[in-house]
Amino acid sequence: MKKSALILPVLVVLGAIGLSSVYIVDERETALRLWFGEVTAEIKEPGLYFKVPVIHEIVKYDDRILPMDTEPSEVTPLDDRRLVVDAFARWRIADAKQFRRAVGASGIPGASARLDRILIAQLRQVLGSVTSDAVLSADRVGLMTRIRDGARSEATNLGVEIIDVRIKRADLPEQNLAATFDRMRAEREREAADEIARGNEAAQRVRAAADRTVVETVSEAQKQSDIIRGEADAQRNAIFAEAFGRDPEFFAFYRSLTAYEKSLQGGNTSLVISPDSEFFEYLKSDKVK
Amino acid sequence: MPSNNSGGPWGGGGGNRGSGNDGGGGRRPPGGGGQPPIPELDEIVRRGQERLRVLMGGKGGGSTNGRGPSGAGGGGIGRGGVMLILIAAAGLWVFSSFYRVDTSEQSVELFLGKYYQTGQEGLNFAPWPVVTKEILSVTRENTEDIGVGAGLRAEQGLMLTGDENIVDIDFQVVWNISDAQRYLFNLAEPRDTIRAVSESVMREIVGRSLLSPILNRDRGVIAQELQNLIQATLDSYNSGVNIVRVNFDKADPPREVIDAFREVQAAEQTRDTLEKQADAYSNTVVAQARGESARLLQQAEGYRAQVVNQAQGEASRFVSVFEEYAKAPDVTRKRLYIETLERVLGNVDKVIIDEGAGGGQGVVPYLPLNELRKSGSQSDAATSEGAR
Repeated sequence: MKKSALILPVLVVLGAIGLSSVYIVDERETALRLWFGEVTAEIKEPGLYFKVPVIHEIVKYDDRILPMDTEPSEVTPLDDRRLVVDAFARWRIADAKQFRRAVGASGIPGASARLDRILIAQLRQVLGSVTSDAVLSADRVGLMTRIRDGARSEATNLGVEIIDVRIKRADLPEQNLAATFDRMRAEREREAADEIARGNEAAQRVRAAADRTVVETVSEAQKQSDIIRGEADAQRNAIFAEAFGRDPEFFAFYRSLTAYEKSLQGGNTSLVISPDSEFFEYLKSDKVK
Repeated sequence: MPSNNSGGPWGGGGGNRGSGNDGGGGRRPPGGGGQPPIPELDEIVRRGQERLRVLMGGKGGGSTNGRGPSGAGGGGIGRGGVMLILIAAAGLWVFSSFYRVDTSEQSVELFLGKYYQTGQEGLNFAPWPVVTKEILSVTRENTEDIGVGAGLRAEQGLMLTGDENIVDIDFQVVWNISDAQRYLFNLAEPRDTIRAVSESVMREIVGRSLLSPILNRDRGVIAQELQNLIQATLDSYNSGVNIVRVNFDKADPPREVIDAFREVQAAEQTRDTLEKQADAYSNTVVAQARGESARLLQQAEGYRAQVVNQAQGEASRFVSVFEEYAKAPDVTRKRLYIETLERVLGNVDKVIIDEGAGGGQGVVPYLPLNELRKSGSQSDAATSEGAR
């Protein structure tokens, strides 16, 4: 009876001691075992571990790839055009002992702050050594690698491995936006004007070609028509020559008569004639002169 | 396993009252020994202990009165209470150890914090607290919108192109988990990482392209490149993330200059219009010219026919007359002459002056030529010719 009343608290105390003498390291963690603040073991393998309760202190760090984003900062490339750049890094704790030594109790947030400074310094240094064209080109990948490598060697002191550094934004400063927009607008206007001018040019070309075609076609037709007319006239002359050539003298006589008849008709002709003409041969006498 | 576990204490409890209590009490701490100190459980344990104490206190009171029967009675009540607690604890344990994995999910089981196995769909058993589990929805597609955010310029998806123009880009990255284990153990902030990598890759691609290809034809190419690069970068983090696709929602000029871009489109239309109008003009006048040419040619042909016919007619007429004339030249010639003059002089005003008969020479100057002209004003030539 009395025993059983005592057993329970004893068991509870034993249980508590048992509980505080084991700890689990998760797959996602790395743990440090500290003996009065001194790192005595670094545990990377997940599993169940034992410790001396109270005296051993366990510090766990996230072993996964951790994020870090820099604030946008202005850098000045070689050509003095300023760019607003922000970048991010992905990092993990490579050496937990070193990490503990370097950042102390501030842990991951403290490390982030220090990495941020390292990264910004690297950004300024690397981007400051090239022109802004290089940032805005396929070279960006190479620049990112340079920044990563630079940051990586500095971060080793923190016990941190930088997995990757990537530039996120590389933009013009806010103050330059208006100017950029103006330039873009001007470029578009130029393009629009060019389009219209080209349209007019093409239209004029087409019209001129059409006018030329018209002149060519019509004059060609005119030429053909004149040739035909000439041939016709020639043919006419040939016909006449053939016909009238039989007796030129009679032709002259006959043609003259036709001409008189045509030209001296109507009431608008007055003739002063002498009766000596052949027509009046018999007007005065019946004898031939 | 669970039935054995839950059955064990019962058997022990039934055999011996004291050892049953001991067994119950002794079993619990090892059960809790492996567990991380979870507040809820501590609470339960504490409550259970309090209750035991109360029961024992009751039993103790009873036992001072009469050890045998009342002790047996108190033991009965205590055993019932302990049983209840044990049943409840066992039920809770079973409930928390079994779990279901849906078709779209995968679970990762950790044995004392160490990766131990991947649970498949259906009912799974993870004996708590030794084995813990994480259930992840692996087939579900997650969407990250990038560039849609309002507010700051940087979040509006404005990006600088290689030719220092600015383009407004919105796109979506659709992803799922390809490897639950890697996804769980390698990346601390997977969503954040996916967003950051996507934006960075997009800006990298835009930063080395010119503006007009982005706006016009290269979207498919860019989306493909984007997807490949994001995937490659995430793979380099061993992230276990699979990019399903990239939706390229928008790639427009910024709001501030979009009017100018529209004007260019309008100008393109204008250009087209001008060209079409010129074509229309060309078609009209050229066709007209062809018609005109045809007319000229036809006219010429007509002229030819006319002239030739006329000539042939005239010639034929002359030939006919001539043939008759050739038979009797003198008579015909005379006749023709007289007949013609008859017709001519019949229609003409005539003045006949006989010069030979007397002083005709003197008469001519006095002729009232003006009056003669009134009746025949245009016949000077004929008059003078006739006079001679």
